[in-house]
Amino acid sequence: MASLSNLKQCHKFNSPTSGGRNYNYVAELDNYPVINLKPELSGTTFSQRFTAAQSFIPDESESVPKRITRAFFDGGFLESLAEARSPRTREQMPMISRTADCIADLLERYNSLQLNLCPHKGELNAERIAQYVETRDWINSAIRCMAWHCDLFKLAIAGVDDMVRIYMRRIDNNGQPLVLKSPAQTQITCMAWRPMCPFELVVGCQQGLCFWTIDGNLHLGRITNPSLVLKHPNKVPISTLQWSQDGTLLATGSIADPDILIWQIDNGSMLPLRRIGPPGSLLKWSPDNEWLFASTVGRVFRVWKCNERWTTDRWVCNEGNVQAACWSPCGRFLLFASTAEPILYRIEFVQLLLGPTKGSDDKEVVPVADLNAIPLDGSNTNLIGGAVQQLAWDPHGKFLAITFRSTNAIAIFRTFIQKFGLQISVGYYLLGDTPTEYPSYVCFQPLNRENNRTVLAIGWSTGRIQFHALE
Amino acid sequence: MSNAAMLSCKLALFRRCVRAVLLSVAVQFLLLAIFLLFVNFELWHPLQWVAGTLRLVCSFYTWFASIPLIGAVVLYGITLSQQHLAERRYCSTRYRWMLNNGPRKLLFLGAHLLVGYLTAWLYTGYLHSDYRHLLYRCYGRDCLSSYHVYLLGMGIAAGCYYFVSVHLHYEVTIDYPIVEQSSPKKLRELLFATLKTAPINSLLPTLSYSLIFALLGSFARQRFSHLLGVDADDRLVSILDVASNVRCLFYAWLLSSQILSNMHLMKRFYAMLLSEELPLIVSRNRLASDKQPEVTVVTGLGLFNIYVVQCLAAHFLYAASKRKDSPVRREIFQLTEPGNRPANWRELCDQCVSIVGNFTDELSDSMRQISVIKGSEQHLTTAHSDINAALLAEKVLLRQYNQLYGIRSAVAPSSETSPEPRHQQWNAKPQDGIRHVPSWCERLSTQLEESLQRVLRRIPGIVYLFGESEGAKTLFLVEHSLPIVWVTQALAHICVASLKEDRYGVVQDDLPTIIKALHRLKCELDKLSSSNTSNLKAATVSFNYLRCAVRRSLYNVCNSFYDYLEDIMTPGEELRQLQSFVHHG
Repeated sequence: MASLSNLKQCHKFNSPTSGGRNYNYVAELDNYPVINLKPELSGTTFSQRFTAAQSFIPDESESVPKRITRAFFDGGFLESLAEARSPRTREQMPMISRTADCIADLLERYNSLQLNLCPHKGELNAERIAQYVETRDWINSAIRCMAWHCDLFKLAIAGVDDMVRIYMRRIDNNGQPLVLKSPAQTQITCMAWRPMCPFELVVGCQQGLCFWTIDGNLHLGRITNPSLVLKHPNKVPISTLQWSQDGTLLATGSIADPDILIWQIDNGSMLPLRRIGPPGSLLKWSPDNEWLFASTVGRVFRVWKCNERWTTDRWVCNEGNVQAACWSPCGRFLLFASTAEPILYRIEFVQLLLGPTKGSDDKEVVPVADLNAIPLDGSNTNLIGGAVQQLAWDPHGKFLAITFRSTNAIAIFRTFIQKFGLQISVGYYLLGDTPTEYPSYVCFQPLNRENNRTVLAIGWSTGRIQFHALE
Repeated sequence: MSNAAMLSCKLALFRRCVRAVLLSVAVQFLLLAIFLLFVNFELWHPLQWVAGTLRLVCSFYTWFASIPLIGAVVLYGITLSQQHLAERRYCSTRYRWMLNNGPRKLLFLGAHLLVGYLTAWLYTGYLHSDYRHLLYRCYGRDCLSSYHVYLLGMGIAAGCYYFVSVHLHYEVTIDYPIVEQSSPKKLRELLFATLKTAPINSLLPTLSYSLIFALLGSFARQRFSHLLGVDADDRLVSILDVASNVRCLFYAWLLSSQILSNMHLMKRFYAMLLSEELPLIVSRNRLASDKQPEVTVVTGLGLFNIYVVQCLAAHFLYAASKRKDSPVRREIFQLTEPGNRPANWRELCDQCVSIVGNFTDELSDSMRQISVIKGSEQHLTTAHSDINAALLAEKVLLRQYNQLYGIRSAVAPSSETSPEPRHQQWNAKPQDGIRHVPSWCERLSTQLEESLQRVLRRIPGIVYLFGESEGAKTLFLVEHSLPIVWVTQALAHICVASLKEDRYGVVQDDLPTIIKALHRLKCELDKLSSSNTSNLKAATVSFNYLRCAVRRSLYNVCNSFYDYLEDIMTPGEELRQLQSFVHHG
């Protein structure tokens, strides 16, 4: 079993963002855009967001019914209930406050009963979303998500300011990003470019799914209207999404709903894959479209067999839930890690079995790497390892990048996919510019006719994007 | 295409229809059980309640009484099967549509009314005695029960409502599932979804019918009682009577939700079973006996008169072409023995390209009839010589914008673009330089013909019945383009897979033909999309589905063969467009 000991440090400066050239300078990276969201995001954090209503002083002379009605139209039923129970209302109209107390009490009882029956149906706030998404410190991180286009040099980066910026090569658009911003797109959790389409991006957010068509309007610099907005049938946020390889089906999941929704966007149809149990948290479609990995916020995770009438294999973790998972480029191996233990596991999926199949029993969960935290280069303060935050496997199948929840270095393992197995050996580690900088999101650039290198894009907590070529 | 293959397909579909009818019959008892559970609800004796309901469902009375309903369900199933398997023909005018579909639709309406009436008749037999009988003794005389008439009417009205809202204007369609799940799972989902939505969906018809009954019910009752020679009772005579009779309203709502669920389920059973994969093959086994004819994909794709089979063959090809390590794809790339010829690919490619090409031809022919496109085309041809492409595109867009918002030009249209009246064309100089001056007889007959056409068009209903609405053919083609959606994607997947799997290079010679066919179709669809035709808005979903599929297919092929595009295609505008499409879409 591989471990984090004996990792070598990667050379530090090798993308234009870092502004330096070292011994293994890669000329192609010169064309990559220089991205740093920090100047644009200064002062924009999740907790510092203001609504327009907060800029005005409330009218003191309003009557109680009028105040409650206004609160209802401004913030909904719960807001109006809070207004009815406020000290001012209690003073002016105690009868209304007492009635509101009764209603609030009933609601509380109902909620506690629901929580007892289904522990996962708690309040859906930002903290809860941050607990299950792949981005580290999702609430405060400058970068919330990144997505590469499969065939073209287009990198979409979602920031904490709810904007998506699309970067191309420096020569294509002078390094200036195209900005996608809409009121229908807040709290972005995930996004993906549509395969087999040069200009469609889908963003999963609080409101549902926002589809952006970036078609010949790059010169505008900013688009404010998504071409399509789809809401979850239960009006809950989308926390994970994945396109099928041919771009016909989109699978989405939400941490407030146990169903996986399969959308066929072109004809506007949707089918829920129903399962009883905890809500979903992470979806990963295998590169060959044969399997769909779906983890939940509980201990259960499933792998759907897409070509065998969508039957499932079900597994249960000993503790915790699956935090991160990734497929090998050949689609034969699935690597995953849970929140409870710093161990990397592997499942092998082989289509051609000799003799009768035995369901999920013939697919073993094998531990392949020990990720317990260890000190880096003998120092006691600088650690690497611990609970896994995110996994990313390079499209050549040679490198595996792992980020951690509590330590700031990125571990890069070397992987060898063989005919009858998978080998993982020690590789490198990567550090940020400062000791406090940590990786928020990492992803490898896909292979296409414009790129044949293994390039890891790292979104650091400071808003800096680093492109790191691995050889 | 052999008749044996067609017969084999029809037989397979017939078997599925029989299964659908059997499922429909079975579901009658399930719905009856649900109805009885509602009607006989006993809070304090739950076991007795369930046991009593089951006893009722299994009783001899139920089995005998449900025979007429089962007969009606079988009739309903037969008419539904006939509609599914009938050839999809284009009817240019409403008159033609009525000639082709009128008898079938009338029969189907009859089946709806019959199922609605018999369901109400059967279900009222289990209700309270006030609702159970059509006639009852009041004041020593036979009286017509208003309650019973109201509920029977509800059954008929629910059937009629379902027919009008679902089947009157639309042809029966099959919603092919997004993902292929097992039959029990599909059945469970279907039952769950139908029973969940039916109570809400039945509210509107119930309330509407109750209102109509309250307004016109007295008249209908009088006629009935006169017909049967009995007295009419004085119940449910006013709106207040109907509105205050909660039990009656509840029964009516329950009945209509049962009937709507029943009809919806029957429709979906057909869709579910007919959309199941057909056992098709790529090449026929030479040793196979003629008694059990195997249907090839190419044969299935060529069955234009059985739309369902064509769709299933296209879907089979699409599903097989996109799978990893597909044996179907391997068979397509194989060379046949003896002769070492790529017969499988040849047949398939020719069939697919011909289907796509014919569709494109038909589509472009039909689009020429649309005035917006025709106008822009005319404009294009007149201006082509001296204006560059970008300016031209801008002018077309401006023209469409003006047409859309009814903005007229301040300047009188030039003589080149304005449609000339017929009589003025006589003055136009012909190409040979000899002007043809018609005789007075010719002039008179033309004028007479024109005035007769004008008079006829003024008669109400003539244009409605005998005129072809603009873009109707295009709409028809787009709505029936499902095989094209799958065939184009399948072709693209096969071409892309050939890069790695085609050891003999059987595909490469046909790549230019395939790319050209896809590109031509894409251009036509783009033209249609930019035309903003109002008639096409009815088929937005189908159009979008088709357009996206064609664009994706073309992108898939061009992107995979990007490095070889210059070798595959002849240099020129088309090549430039394809390269630009890969980069910018």
